[in-house]
Amino acid sequence: MKQIVKRWRMRYTSWGDMVFDVCNYSLMLVLCVVMLYPMLNTLAISLNDANDAIRGGIYLWPREFTLYNYEYVLKENTLLNALLISVLRTVLGTAISVFCTAMVAYVISRPEFVFRKFVTIAFILTMYFNGGLIPTYLLMRDLHLIGTFWVYIIPGIIGVFNLIVIRSFIEGLPNSLIESARIDGAGEFRIFLQIVLPLSLPVLATVSLFVAVYQWNSWFDVFLYNSSNPNLSTLQYELMKILQNTNATMSGKTAADAFANAHADANTVTPSSIRATMTIIASVPIILVYPFLQKYFIKGLTLGGVKGE
Amino acid sequence: MEIEKHIKTITPAPAAVESHLSKRKNIWKKIVQQKTLILMSFPFLIWLFIFKYLPLWGWTIAFQDYRPGLPFSEQEWVGWKHFRFLFQDEAFFRVLRNTLAMSIINLVLGFVTAITLAILLNELRNGKFKRIVQTISYMPHFLSWVVAASIISYALSLENGIVNIVLQKLHVIDEPILWLGVGEYFWGIIGASEVWKNLGWNTIIYLAAIAMIDPEQYEAAEIDGASRLQRIFYITLPSLKPTIVILLIMNLGNILETGFEPQYLLGNPMNLDYSENLDIFVLKYGIAMGNFALATAAGIFKTVVSFIFLFSANYIAKRLGQARLF
Amino acid sequence: MGNGQLMIKGGRGVKTARKKTWGIVFLCLMMIVALVGCKESASVDNKGNPSSADDKKPFTFTYFNAGTSKKNIEANQTKIGKIFEEQTGVNVKMEFLVGDINTKIGTMIASGQYPDVLVPDTAIDKVLDAKAFIPLNDLIDKYAPNLKKLYGPYLEQLKAEDGKIYFLPFGVNHGYIPNPDIDQGAFWIQRRVLKEFGYPKIKTLDEYFDLIAKYKEKHPETDGKPTIGFTALTYDWRFFVISNPPAHLAGYPNDGEVIVDMKTHEAKVYGNGEYTKRWLKKLNEINAAGLFDKEAFVSNYDEYLAKIASGRVLGFFDYGWQVNQALNSLLQAGNDDLRYMPLPIVFDKNIKDQYIDPPSFASNRGIGITVSAKDPVRIIKYFDNMAKEENQKLMTWGIKGETYEVDEKGRFYRTPEQIKKTSDEQFREQFGFSYFEWYWPRGNGVFSDGNAWEPRRQPEVAQASYTEGDKKILAAYGAKVFSDLFAKPDERPWYPAWSAPIKQGSPAQIYQQKKQDLQRKYFPKLVLDPPSKFEKNWKEYVKEYNKLDIKAFEDEITKYVKMKVEQSKK
Repeated sequence: MKQIVKRWRMRYTSWGDMVFDVCNYSLMLVLCVVMLYPMLNTLAISLNDANDAIRGGIYLWPREFTLYNYEYVLKENTLLNALLISVLRTVLGTAISVFCTAMVAYVISRPEFVFRKFVTIAFILTMYFNGGLIPTYLLMRDLHLIGTFWVYIIPGIIGVFNLIVIRSFIEGLPNSLIESARIDGAGEFRIFLQIVLPLSLPVLATVSLFVAVYQWNSWFDVFLYNSSNPNLSTLQYELMKILQNTNATMSGKTAADAFANAHADANTVTPSSIRATMTIIASVPIILVYPFLQKYFIKGLTLGGVKGE
Repeated sequence: MEIEKHIKTITPAPAAVESHLSKRKNIWKKIVQQKTLILMSFPFLIWLFIFKYLPLWGWTIAFQDYRPGLPFSEQEWVGWKHFRFLFQDEAFFRVLRNTLAMSIINLVLGFVTAITLAILLNELRNGKFKRIVQTISYMPHFLSWVVAASIISYALSLENGIVNIVLQKLHVIDEPILWLGVGEYFWGIIGASEVWKNLGWNTIIYLAAIAMIDPEQYEAAEIDGASRLQRIFYITLPSLKPTIVILLIMNLGNILETGFEPQYLLGNPMNLDYSENLDIFVLKYGIAMGNFALATAAGIFKTVVSFIFLFSANYIAKRLGQARLF
Repeated sequence: MGNGQLMIKGGRGVKTARKKTWGIVFLCLMMIVALVGCKESASVDNKGNPSSADDKKPFTFTYFNAGTSKKNIEANQTKIGKIFEEQTGVNVKMEFLVGDINTKIGTMIASGQYPDVLVPDTAIDKVLDAKAFIPLNDLIDKYAPNLKKLYGPYLEQLKAEDGKIYFLPFGVNHGYIPNPDIDQGAFWIQRRVLKEFGYPKIKTLDEYFDLIAKYKEKHPETDGKPTIGFTALTYDWRFFVISNPPAHLAGYPNDGEVIVDMKTHEAKVYGNGEYTKRWLKKLNEINAAGLFDKEAFVSNYDEYLAKIASGRVLGFFDYGWQVNQALNSLLQAGNDDLRYMPLPIVFDKNIKDQYIDPPSFASNRGIGITVSAKDPVRIIKYFDNMAKEENQKLMTWGIKGETYEVDEKGRFYRTPEQIKKTSDEQFREQFGFSYFEWYWPRGNGVFSDGNAWEPRRQPEVAQASYTEGDKKILAAYGAKVFSDLFAKPDERPWYPAWSAPIKQGSPAQIYQQKKQDLQRKYFPKLVLDPPSKFEKNWKEYVKEYNKLDIKAFEDEITKYVKMKVEQSKK
């Protein structure tokens, strides 16, 4: 008992502190409810009979439970290869992009670098314009990137937003570390690799998440450049295809088809139930990436040996 | 500039000329010295030129009645025609107003909420709980706008909408309100929706910034007897400032880049006057009609506005002595 | 810049371990890269070598369809495609559109790289403009007698201004047969309303709404929630569902945004005219009477469907294909009273309804061979083989004994099992119906033996699928199939006028977009404001409307209509 009181004391030095915590925790709980609802709702719809779901009114729990929507989506034999390509482009694209971006970020964070301003501005400006769809497409064609895997990676090697984010973090690092390494005779590349990179882990984790999510979710480049090459199709693109296929089928359905479906146990699918299903299939893997990366956020903290826990 | 001034004031001393020369020499020396840095960045400069600057020839499309497939020499040049179409349309200013209004609302709300959440998360003592809240709060980001919009629309509906039900229970309103049917509410709805969808996502970068704060600062503050709020205002927030300023400048450059999905999906005949933004306008009269020229013209307009905002914001930050972009 | 105050300690002990990890990660990446590289080289496709002889040497051509979305497939993986391959030695690599059509076709044109065969759907003008299709006249003359027969009556109409045929439209019309079920426009009314009042015959808009009003008064609630008298679909591009009814009510078919005069063949817009005023005034009245759905101008498509599927809505106007999901859901729910009956409602008793499409085909959609095609002769022969009547039957009816039966009089029908089977999407894909029943050279209407080209238009097939409730309500109105209640369509050689080629970005196209914007803005006011304001709102709306370039649009359509009329006389 005494110990509890003691711990309590240690934890809260003042009443205000405690009130703060109570408010904070309650607020976070409310937040969780609001933020969790859409996913749960989508999950419930994906697990509900499509025809029944049209009537609406499904919240957290399916009304007529079925796994048919998943069966319908997952039966596509193209999905496995597409998943592989998705994982590949996410892993590879993230690794390459984060490494290269961090390298350039390090360079433009060096105050003594002669071309610092030129390089920085050259990159920043590109955030606010683009040549448009057709010139970009023709460029990819002329570079022979169309129909290859590299069209997913190379155009996105440097993310300018990420570049600036990493740069401003590196600028926040103590200069003394870098200077002392330099005095020890370390070259710039080694300083970058052995001192700057490890120290920037929290921001690298953040940027990795940004790039990974971008890579995982993108389907437009597949649509533009690789749509006729099924071997390089990605998960998002294949799911998109299934959804649009359902859309097209729905508007072509006749009353006779409806009859057949109504009288057989055969389930039907609708665009909204397919959309819910593919949302779950596509988002769960990438959502799981974050908890994994979170430990690097914590690591940044524990490196200095924070107390409080 | 500075060098010139220098020369003027000190002339005609030959020493100045010499120093000028030695400065140039210095630059070459520096370049040789910094060859690793140059090697580390110049390949990417070439990449940048090829992938970002080269396609800019496409801007010529804006001044043509562009027909894809025809060689460049056979395109018909029409001058500022597409820009005129854009600017002279009576819908243009309404569309621009909506774009700016929603953009500013999103910017302010987005920043304030994300920073607040990051700080509050940082104040949670239970690490596990903190991680769970973080993960949950960024989940809505992964819903497509189509899915999100249908949930929002349903939440705002007359009979079953949770918003109306709650407000009626709390006696804030007597009759349910057709939220999406009143144009004036639209900007607020979009602002709230954006926050709801992207709050957790936007927070991540601040959490990373907080993770890089030296814990010793907190310890010292604790010893000094600083309260929770004091620690937030004197340690956490100031440490976040460079990140905030940089992000703010970058986002100000994107002021016209609002996207169109939520506005398009939640827009309807009744809130049309408030929901239609620049991207929707371009979508309707440019892309949907296969008019690449108009889409390009709008893109150029956006770039010009972006540059104005970007350079002004950067300049102001510089004058205020804050972190700046370049 | 923001440095200085941050001090980070540590990160030293982990160094060596991290170095190793990086190495391993890098090694993995390299291996993956190598793997992907191999994959690419393996996936180079084996396109057939060009040959023009009439052999059956294996040959594959590529086909891109921007009109619909399906799984990419090779034709010989389907039953129909396999049969065609056996007949011709030709296989097809089929690809379908997934994203935005203008983007996809635009990049194709810009790069000049086309599939061998292209179905450009709405982007056809751009494809023609870019001269991406090769003329087919000579190919048809030389190699395609069956194609000539199938398209025979229309060959003249297919010619572009330069006298060349660049593409073949789908479903060229061979005789009239209405779809027994209404997949086109109609005023739908819930069956319980008709039942309550003893299945009265209603024809005019006033009668229709009076009946709904009477019913709603008696039954203000459905399942504990307010009954909705009438709802409307207004979401996004589906807005035409609320702007089209005036033409239908005045006795015209869905010619798009115009009414075409039967004698002068002049096309006139009606959005600013009396018909539209009368329609909106009626909606305004029923809104004042509390019959109109308050959320009609706010609901999205899903919410609209949900409302109808909930059984609370007494009536609505829509096109059958668009509201199918909700109707199916009601059918499956099994309560016949809550299902709907399509009716050909008009303004006045003396107007003959024209809801059912006249026999026609859209002449601005079709399939063509592109300039990238390596062997157009083999392709046109493939088309020609397809155009044989027995193969046309294969594409729509399938195989006798498997997907259809023939009775002693030679009539085609399907057993309940076959109906079930042929409506299953998975079966349709495997068999090839999904891939071949449209978007290829095809006829429509009636075969030479009197059977319908499409099974769904064969009354025997439709009737076999009717429920007891369907039969009861049809009997009450003395009809065998639902289309019996609708008048036979008059001949309109130009139909549908919306297939007039309207150049992208032209004043006529801009008119269309502006008109839709204007109507989206004013319709809610016109309908929802109190009746006293109607006249004022209407005047304002018409004033704005008349500022648009109406003439540019009308001229385009009139020109097209007159051309079609001329061609049909040849």
